[in-house]
Order: sequence, then structure tokens, then C-alpha cells
Amino acid sequence: MRVAEWWPRAPRRAGVVAALLCVFQVPQVLAWTLEEAAKPYAGTTLRTIGEALPPLEAMKALAPAFTKRTGIKVEIEMYEHSEAVNKVMLDLNGKRRRYDFILQPHRELGKFVANGHLTPIDGFMNDPKLRDPAFVPEQALYPALWKEISWYGGKPYGFPFTALTMYAWYRADLLADPKEQAGFRAKYGRALAPARNWQEYRDLAEWFHRPDKGLYGTALQGKRHEALWYEWLNFLYSFGGDVLKVSSGSQCGPVIVNSPAAVESLDYYRSLLKFAPPDSLNYFWDDVMALMQQGRVFELIMWNDSTYAVSEDRKASTVAGRMAFDMLPAGKGGKVGQVEGWSYLIPAAAKNREAAWLFVQWMMEYRQQLAQHLGGGASARPDVYAAPEVRKLPYSKASMQTNEVARPKATLPQSGEMTDILVRELSAALAGEKTSKAALDRAAKDIGTLLGKCAPLEYPVQ
Amino acid sequence: MTAAAARLGRDRAVPALLLAPAAIVAVAVLVVPFWLMAWTALTDLSYADPDRSGRFVGIANFARLATDDVFGASLLRTTAFAVAATALELVAGFGLALLLVHAVQRRRWLLTALLVPMMLAPVAVGLMWRLLLQGDFGVVTWMLRASGLLARDAAIFSNASLVMPVLVAIDVWQWTPFVTLILLAALLGLPRAPFEAATMDGAGPWRRFVDVTLPLLRPVLALVVLLRLIDAFKEFDKVWILTGGGPGDASELLSLYAYRVSFQRWDLGYGAAVAVAIYGAVLVLCTVLHRLARSR
Repeated sequence: MRVAEWWPRAPRRAGVVAALLCVFQVPQVLAWTLEEAAKPYAGTTLRTIGEALPPLEAMKALAPAFTKRTGIKVEIEMYEHSEAVNKVMLDLNGKRRRYDFILQPHRELGKFVANGHLTPIDGFMNDPKLRDPAFVPEQALYPALWKEISWYGGKPYGFPFTALTMYAWYRADLLADPKEQAGFRAKYGRALAPARNWQEYRDLAEWFHRPDKGLYGTALQGKRHEALWYEWLNFLYSFGGDVLKVSSGSQCGPVIVNSPAAVESLDYYRSLLKFAPPDSLNYFWDDVMALMQQGRVFELIMWNDSTYAVSEDRKASTVAGRMAFDMLPAGKGGKVGQVEGWSYLIPAAAKNREAAWLFVQWMMEYRQQLAQHLGGGASARPDVYAAPEVRKLPYSKASMQTNEVARPKATLPQSGEMTDILVRELSAALAGEKTSKAALDRAAKDIGTLLGKCAPLEYPVQ
Repeated sequence: MTAAAARLGRDRAVPALLLAPAAIVAVAVLVVPFWLMAWTALTDLSYADPDRSGRFVGIANFARLATDDVFGASLLRTTAFAVAATALELVAGFGLALLLVHAVQRRRWLLTALLVPMMLAPVAVGLMWRLLLQGDFGVVTWMLRASGLLARDAAIFSNASLVMPVLVAIDVWQWTPFVTLILLAALLGLPRAPFEAATMDGAGPWRRFVDVTLPLLRPVLALVVLLRLIDAFKEFDKVWILTGGGPGDASELLSLYAYRVSFQRWDLGYGAAVAVAIYGAVLVLCTVLHRLARSR
């Protein structure tokens, strides 16, 4: 029997196309090399900027290998979070063209795109001279994360530098202590175990809150700082609330930040202050991480890129090897997590865009991603989490599971001001200057005014 | 042209030439930025919103200031901070200067030690006090709790009613030496004749202080008050590092608000209007003090 006879017509056509693609693609895959693609740019020096944290230090350690293969040097400027953001904003608007690629939090994306500061990467992805055919981001990355972190208005503008998530941190050694287990069961009538819901989370905080012995039930990032907003978003999403009623970060829609669910989440968040250190209204991520490293907190909600320094680094942490991690407890909004990514982005006016693309593409390869992840990064590649050395890390599962249920946050051009409004009101509520409802009503009103007609208040403010 | 006229021209040209570099620098770094800021305050420039590309909006930003309750509260808070800090620095600095005026020849090391806080960068002062007053392991916090002055479950920068008095106290700690230094120099430079005359007229130490020392020092006192008020009104670094304006709005000074509007919201037109308002408030203070110093 001839092949044409047993092969149905439509699949046959598809097969022919596939075969042709293989014929043309395979040689291309084999033919494309980084060295060849980088030849025109040898001798170039790329300059970038990002937040001074382990993922960037890991990138710095990897960069010489890229230089060795391509002759392209990479200079990295490291700054504190806000400074890294501000310097880029001033550079882009001042048209200084200092940076060939930038590393920025994804909430800044809308501002950059709306002002025409970024190059969409589809041009590079469609250029056979620059595109490594072996790198297929649609398959290599968590699709939802990539879209959340690096896309705006239906277009890709980069790749995730870090897929940052927050989840629950616990002291596993205290949970396993038989005395604690017996005492907890006697008081609460159930086994001492990681919290499945927010009531259990508060019970655990209450049980372990022993300030006279130097142990706090939990710790909050209550300083008037972005950290407060990030932390509260976990509670907001989990309680079934949100800031805007939209399906993607780049959309504008009705303001729902003062919904009953949001007010309930803030009331709950404030209730945890009783079991937190007295200076919680002056703490942000560095402070609570230090407290955890000193073994002074039982549980908290914290970032994945800080986990290594607490859980694994025995020189820096007194509780290394004694920590456990889990997704956030479930609320009315289900098991969710807030994700904040930093992205590789290429400015539209950059001097060396092609060379920058080659470096970014190289950094997204499995080997570099794995090395960066093990050095304290947070990869957006699922295959990195499947690596045996990553699976051994006690926080990998929580990180991976949270990545899968990431909720979008506003990346509109006005997102910076929205954040500022919310931080101000959340801080006022924590300080007891306002009730949760009054604070969120004011935030809703100000955000509604800021966004204009596209953002009516779903819960009108009296 | 006569020789005399040529010499006159040369005499005028030389000072002008010598002053020119300083004048150019002053115009470049003071006048031009100020006018750029003032112009920006009349526009809708925003780096966040591409539809607001710097269109002229007249006094719209200033009209917005009038209805901005956060700005109003910050203005009042900043004024209270500047007045309280300056008053305390003046009293403490004057007291120290009077104590040192007789001892300064023999105790120069004391003066040097007093100057240390003033020589520290504001950021370093902020970081130092952040550690000293840290709620869990801060040494000063521990001492305050041990002495019963602070409750065990309280922390200074998490308490909305404590935060401003403590910020004033830190400013007083840092800048009292500056007041002491200037007043000490002024005290040492006072003529002896009026004091001798007052003594011969039977004036005691208090009357000599009230009727001779204070009137003679009035221009210097006015200058010190002016400098400290201006500086306290612009306070930013220490407060930003210590509290970030919180908790809530408890320590949100005008300069923090201006920074937030300009560099976190990127609403540059409105941010410039806030900065111009700070400038205006300082100008009013300067004018009032200048008049007070000149009046009899």
C-alpha cells in the first residue's frame, strides 16, 4: 500500500508542512550559533541596571562566560530597589541612552510602553540572525508568568529576570516539637500543623507569640513603603478582593479596592499586629528577613528571593535547615499568590539593542537559569524547578505552586501613583489613624479620580 | 579715549572678569534650575502619562495645592517641626555657648566633640538613629524601656504620637552645636565697653544679659534662626530613612511629599508646584524674620 492511500488528506497536508518545516528548521537549529550571531557586535560593551540582590549578583557571575564566547562585555550597575527604578526613569526620559537593557519591576511596564521607551521583542524573535531557534519561550517559560511580567497590551517586551512570589514561611523545628504539639492540641483541639486557612494562621501566630522569650508569632512589613502594599496584596487576593475589576494588568476597569472582601482582608491583616514585634510599623522586607534569620519569628509571608538567605545560608541565618515553606493559606479567593516579576527590557533608544538581545536570550537558556536560580534567583522556567538540585531546596514546591496561581496586578502607566495612594492609606489604617473601611474608601476615591472614566467606583464612597 | 578713562575701564573690567566664573556657576546651578522648576510648575508634565507632555496649564497646579488635604497637613506639620526644632536648638545652643564662653580657651576639645553630630552626613545620622531606636535591639530603645520611659510593647517609630517629637529631638541633637558655634563666636566678639558701663550703672548679670547681651546679639540670633528654620523646613534625608513619612501620615513633611509626587508618581508639574510652595513658605519666613531683626 502506498503512503498516500492510508494517509488521510488533511493530516497528509499537515504532515508535508511539518516535514518541510523539519527540513528547513533542523539545519537552522544546527546552523545558528551564539558566536556567529554575535560576531558583528564583538567588542561592544553592554551596560545594564538592576536591584542589588542575589539574582543580579548571580547574573554578574555568569556574564564573563558570555563575554568569553562573544567578545561582548557586560557592565552591571546595582542599586537599592527604588533607586534602580528612579535612575531608569530619569535615563529614559532624559534620553541619555546609558543602558542597553534594563531590569525593572513589571509594575513599571505600562509607563514605559505608553511613553514609547521600549522595543517590543517580537522583532528580535523574528530575526533568524538573532533568534536562537532552540529557545522557544512559549514552551520554555510559565506562559501566564511571562505574560504577566513581560507583556503589555498584547505584545511581549522582554523576558522575566525573576519571577518573584510570596508565600508562607514557618519554623519547621517548632512545629515538630512534641511539647508544642501537645500544648497546641490542648488549647486549640487540633494538631499543630501549617495553616490551611487564615484562622489557623492567626491561631499559630497567637500560640507562638512569646515576646518575653524573644519569639514573635508573626512579623509584618508595616513601614510606609512599597513592601506594605506587596504584603497586603496577598491578603487582599486571598480574601477574594482586588484593586481593579480586570482580567489583566494592562487593563483599566472598575475600582473595587474598597469591597467588603478588601475591608475584611485589611481588618484581618491589622489583627495580626497583636502577634508581631512592637516596631512592625517601621519594618520592611530587610527587617523581617533579619528577624527570621535571628530565629525571632515563628511565621510570616515573604518573598522567594529572600528564602535562600534564611533557609540555606548557615553563615547568615541561625534557622538554616529549620524552615518550612508553603503556599498562602486559602481564603474566600482560593489558593492564590501575588507575583512581582523583574523583566529584561530593551529601551527603544538603546545603543546596542541587538547585542543586548543576544545576552538576554543567552541568560534565558536552561544552564544560566539554573545557575542563577541556585544562586538565589527565581526562574520563570518550569524545567529549572524540575532539576534535582532545585527540587532539594525546601522552598521550591511553594515557589512553583505559587507561580502557577499568580494573580495579575496593575501595570498601567498610573500604577506607581496607585501604589503610593494605597501605601499611604494602608499605613494610616495600621497606625490606627483610620478604620480599614475609611482608609480603603479614600484609596478607592483617589484611584478612581486618578484613572478617570475607565475606573468607576463599584462601591461608591459616601 | 584719555588715559584716565582707559584706566577706569580696566579697573572695572578686572573685577568683572574675576567675578564672572562664580557668577556663571551661580546662574547655572541656582537661577536656571529655579526658573526651570517654576516653569514646570505651570505645566502638566508627567513622566507617567504620555498625554501630559508639558502643556502650559497656568496656575492649575497651585489651585490644586489649595484643595490638597495631604499637602495642607504636610505644610502644618513641617511648620511645627521647623519652629519646634529651631526654638529648642536656639535655647540649647545659646545655653551651651554661654557655658563655653568662659571655658573655650582651655577646653577646645569640648567644642570639637560638640561639633561631631553637625559634621555627620544626614543619611549617616538617619541610619545611626534607626539602629539606636530600632524596636527590637536598639540600645536607646532598650534604655528607655529599662528606665520605664517607654512601654515594653511600644516602639518609637511605630507610634504616631511619638514619632514627631523624636524627629525633633534628633534634629536638635544634630544641629544645636551649629547654633552654639555661631553664638559662641559672636559672644567672644562682643565689645567690653557696654558691659563695663552697665556694671558701673549697677546692672547685675541678668540685666546685663537682657539689656546688653541680647540686643547686641540680635542680628546674629536672627541669622541663626533664619538658617535653622530654612534648613529644618527642607528636612528630608533623616526622616526619609527613619520613617518614610509614616506611620500613616504622622511624619510626612513637605519635602517628602514633594519627592513622592515628583519621583514616585512622576507628576513633575504638580511636584514642582509643591517645591515652589516650599520655596514660597521659606521666603515668607525669611522676610518676617528679616523685618523682626531690623525693627527696634
